[in-house]
Amino acid sequence: MATGSDRLAGAGLVALSSIIFVYYSVWVILLPFIDSDHVIHNFFLSREYAVLLPLSAALVLLFFIGIFVTFIMWKSRSPKKKSE
Amino acid sequence: MTKLAEWLLALSVLGAAWVTLNFNLLGLDLPPPLQQLLWPLPVYLLVVFGCYSLATIGYRVATFNDCEDAARELQQQISEAKRDLALKGLKF
Repeated sequence: MATGSDRLAGAGLVALSSIIFVYYSVWVILLPFIDSDHVIHNFFLSREYAVLLPLSAALVLLFFIGIFVTFIMWKSRSPKKKSE
Repeated sequence: MTKLAEWLLALSVLGAAWVTLNFNLLGLDLPPPLQQLLWPLPVYLLVVFGCYSLATIGYRVATFNDCEDAARELQQQISEAKRDLALKGLKF
């Protein structure tokens, strides 16, 4: 059996992903079918951000992954050069 | 057909369908809400896939099980090996 903190972290991840899924689904799928003067539109940013935010988040993520991989490869190569 | 080719085929078919509908190449008369739904759809699918992956990781972390029988068996084998090696003169 997983420890308490593991179970807490796993439940947190599941809850986070389901919140994002529900919010984003309402934002992208449901809002076009609701009148534009309905109150629910006050809880969401305008439609362009539904695409811009995930894409910019993905770009930032790829940027940091690239930095991480570069750093790791550079770190694992430098002692070899010293020994040569 | 390899798995990669299958996925590439499915993705290109979906992408072609999306491009056809989104840029209205067939001259269809889609209602405006449907058109608004259509253009962020690839990003939406990507986000849904990310959510699914995150939820899967979370679920597996939460239900990660200990293998107590395997641990006991391994401990027993370790002690057996130690006894065997001690008989042959190895000191720990």
